[in-house]
This record gives sequence, structure tokens and C-alpha cells, in this order.
Amino acid sequence: MVQFSQLAAIMLPVYIMIAIGFFWTRSNRTLDTDLIATLVNKIGLPCLIIAIFSRIEININETQKFVLASILVVLIGGVISAILVHLFKFFSSSYLPVMTFSLTGSLGLPLSLLSFGEKGLAYGLVFFTVTTIGTYRGGGATAAGNLSFDKLSREPVTWSIIVAVFLIWPGFSLPKWIIDTTWLLGAIAIPLQLLVTGSFLGRIESKFHYRTVIVSIVQLFVGFILGILVAELFHLSMTARAILILQATIPVIILNYIFSIIFKCESTDVAEMDYVSTIISALALPLILAWLINNG
Amino acid sequence: MFILLEIATIIAPLFVMAGIGFVWGRSGRPFNTNTIGGLVVNFAVPCLIFSTLTRLQVSISDFATAAGIFSIAVALNIFFSTLLLRISRIEIGAFLPTTVFANNGNMGLPLCFFAFGEKGLALGISMFVVSATANFFLGISFASRRLVLRETVLAPHIYVVLAALYFLFIGVDPPSWLSNTTRILGGMSIPLMLIALGVSLARLEVRKVFQSLYLGSFRIGFGFCAGLVLAWAFDLSAAARGVLILQCAMPSAVLNYIIAARFGRKEDEVAGVVVASTILSLATLPIIIYVAIHGFT
Repeated sequence: MVQFSQLAAIMLPVYIMIAIGFFWTRSNRTLDTDLIATLVNKIGLPCLIIAIFSRIEININETQKFVLASILVVLIGGVISAILVHLFKFFSSSYLPVMTFSLTGSLGLPLSLLSFGEKGLAYGLVFFTVTTIGTYRGGGATAAGNLSFDKLSREPVTWSIIVAVFLIWPGFSLPKWIIDTTWLLGAIAIPLQLLVTGSFLGRIESKFHYRTVIVSIVQLFVGFILGILVAELFHLSMTARAILILQATIPVIILNYIFSIIFKCESTDVAEMDYVSTIISALALPLILAWLINNG
Repeated sequence: MFILLEIATIIAPLFVMAGIGFVWGRSGRPFNTNTIGGLVVNFAVPCLIFSTLTRLQVSISDFATAAGIFSIAVALNIFFSTLLLRISRIEIGAFLPTTVFANNGNMGLPLCFFAFGEKGLALGISMFVVSATANFFLGISFASRRLVLRETVLAPHIYVVLAALYFLFIGVDPPSWLSNTTRILGGMSIPLMLIALGVSLARLEVRKVFQSLYLGSFRIGFGFCAGLVLAWAFDLSAAARGVLILQCAMPSAVLNYIIAARFGRKEDEVAGVVVASTILSLATLPIIIYVAIHGFT
């Protein structure tokens, strides 16, 4: 059985940091989200990716399988979400307060790290990267009408992924001072994302519609089952399997927005969907973690 | 050759991070100092202090020794700085903090960490706590011309130190949710402090070049000597001696400028001293790090 203290050690840090962001914003202090987004996306995450793949030993075959599994989860998950959103006749809104960070980053990364250590974080980052590239290209394509590789190539994350691919190969390593520097700089990514998530929850005054709650819960379940099935299909090892299921369960929030554009559906707003998804996943994830640790 | 490489490895991360901030500041992009400063002072640094002290790298007596000796260094600094300023006819009220209080957080902590690892960081933090408390108390008192205890008592790091000492004293590890939270939040402090340092350096200007260089070199030079003398007098262990020398020889703290600006006490000239001493330290750091690690052998 999972002990309460074990689960508290994983969940409480996440809740505390979200709460700090929440109350910081509610007490009318400034939290410059744009600045933090730049720090995280241009500096923190790229450095974290390079640092983690310099520090851990990771099996190439296992990583390849994990990448394919992640892509499959994102694709199938995307299609299912699209059907769901269409079924429930969701949303469109003229404004775009989509959350600054996706939940696979802001919730998925700390949970991967706290529950399965640095190796867990490495898999969590791979999944996060796949969703980010997927939704980034999907989102960019919808907005601009064409796929933009040009923009993608200007993101530091893209370059850090290329470096990480080299780092997975045995025999390639970076000088110590680069590893030190990226390790320290990478440490800002996780706490800053959680603080911004809290700040988002503090800023949005949202009402709950039962439909939103239902869709969120269904999304969560579908993701969970999908994660289990794909993990079985690829015969993933223990940690990889746990992280795949964990990350698959976390709703890819930006899909809410993308599909609302694609299907030109109407109704309440995307912010509400984001708000509800965040809260529901924050509440449901302890259960899923407990299950994962028990069945690990 | 090996020694040069060793020193370069210690300094490089510092330069890269401060450099990112410097380029950011020069590029004129907005950098909301309130957001970053607020997060660093209220959450990141207190968490770093708690998490480093409770990871059982130091004992209470290590902590007390480091903090005690560093207090003597601060006292020596105050005494000789007062003499120097009086002889040079420079206004003591405005400039004493710039020659006494060093950048023990922004710059000192990462250096202690890179040069002496986790243990170095813990010892460096013991000294930083003294320096930050004294800097708040005396800095604000000097600038506002009366004794101000409010800010000092409200600063979170004092309570965090007490909490950490409590766990050290009863000899129990803090619960893992607490150590996980403080480790993750504390991890933000060094990179954010260094980036913020770079941004402030890019924005500050040096006024009165001669006076700035004069006071800046006194800050580093006298601090270095005081560190050496105290390290010799107290017969410290290798790591403690090195950390003491490093922390004593840091350039003037950015906090001095922030306090001066708040009370309108010659903040332009104070900024000059901060920038000048930081630039000087680019040259002095390799020597100081060498001596801190190897002594004079």
C-alpha cells in the first residue's frame, strides 16, 4: 500500500507552489507572467532538457519506444478530444486567455520528478516535448493557415532537443561547467511554471458548468486508459510505463482551444475549460499516482 | 594549465547566468524586477536557506562558527571603513554600507557552491544570513538616519534559519514534503539572483569613476585581507577557510543601491561603487578563488 506520507511528499509540494502563486496574485502583487514565460521557455526548459539528459544514463531502445508511444498517445488523444468537444458542442471565444503553460509541463514535470526521480523527469520531458511540438505545430497551422517550421527552429527548446538526442548516445558528453550551468538554470522551470499556474487560477473568476466538469473528467479517464493500453502495446519498462500513463492522463489543455477553432463551435469560454481541467487534474492525480506506485 | 581550467570551471556558470541578465538588460527588454525580486526574497532564498541547512551538511556548531567569524569580519569592516571614509572626507552615512556589505547572496553563494560543493553552500549561507540581516538593519538605519528594526524583524530568512536550526537541534530530518518543496523552490534562487544581478548591472551607470573605483577596491581588498587574517586566526577547516575568504572578498551588494534609491541617498554614486567593485571583481575573482582553494602554496 502507498503510505500517506509518500503521497504527501509528491503532491504537497505541487499544491503548495500553486497556492503561493494563487495567493500572491489574489493579494494584488505583481506576477509578470510574460516575463516568467520567457524565462521558462527560452532558458529554463531548454537547460533542464540538456541537464537531465547529461546526468542520467538512459537506454536508447527504451527511449525510442517511449517517443513512439508518446506520439501515439498524443495523436489518439487528440482525435478523441476532438470527438468529445464536437459531441458536447463546445466552445469558441473571441479572446484567448489560454494558460501560459500546458499542464503536461506545469503538473506533469514536477510529479514525474517527485515520484520517479531524475529518470522519471527525463521521460516526463520527452512526453512534454512531444505534446508541445504537436500542439505548437497544430496551433500554429490553425492560426496561420500553414505549418511553420521556421518559427519552430527559432525556439531554444528545439535546439536543446537536438543536443539531448546526441546526449542519449553513449560516449557523447558535455564539459562539466556546461552541465553545471544548465542544471542550475533548468531548476527555474518547474517552480516558475507551478507559480504561474497558481496565478492563473487566482486571476480567472470562473463559473462551473456541469458540462465542462463532465468533459474534463471524461478526458482524464480516456487519457488514463489510453496510457495503459499504449504502455502495454510497447512493453515499456516500469518507470517509462508509469510516466506515460501519468502524462497521458493529464489533459492537454491547449487542445481545448485548438478544437474550438477547428469546429467553430460555440458556447462558454476556453478559460473556464482550462480552469476546470487544472483543478480536476490536480485533485485526481493523487489517486492515479497511488495506483501507479502500487502497480509499479 | 590545470589550475586555470579549474578556476574557469568555477567562474563560467556565474558569468553565463549574469551574462544572460546583462544582455537582457542591455537589449532593453522589460524585466519586471518586482516580480523576480519578490519571488526571490520571499520564497526562493528562504527555501534555499532551509533546504541547504537541513540537508545535514553542517552541524549547529559549524553554523555558529561560520556565522560568528563572519560577524567579526563585518565588525572589522565597519571599523576600518569608517576610518577610511572619515580620512577621505566621504559622507559616511551614504557610503559606509557600500564598503561594508558585500554581495554574499547573488555572487557569494554560487561561488561557494561551485568551489566547495554542497558543504560550501551551507557554510556560505551561514555567513549570508548574517550579512543580509546586518545589511537590512544597518543599511536602512543609515539611510533613514534612525534605527529601524521593522524590516529586519519582518525579513523571512531569520525565521527560516530558526526553523532549520530546530530540525538540526532535535536531529530529525524535516518531513519529505517540506524538504521537497523547499528544494524545488530554493532551486530558483541562484539562477534568478544572477540573472537579476546582470540586469541591474546593465542598467546602473558609474558616476564619479575615481571615487567608485577607490571605494570598490577598498571593499574587495580590505575584505580579502580581513578574510585571510580571520581564517588564519581561527584555524578553520579547508572548506570553511575558503568560503570565509570568498565571502569576505565579494564586491559591494546590489541591495545597497536598492536601499539608497528608496531613501534618496546619493543612489547614483552608490550605484557607481556597486558597478565598479563588480567590474573589479572580474579581475580579482580568479586570484581570490585560487587562494580560497589552495591557500598560498
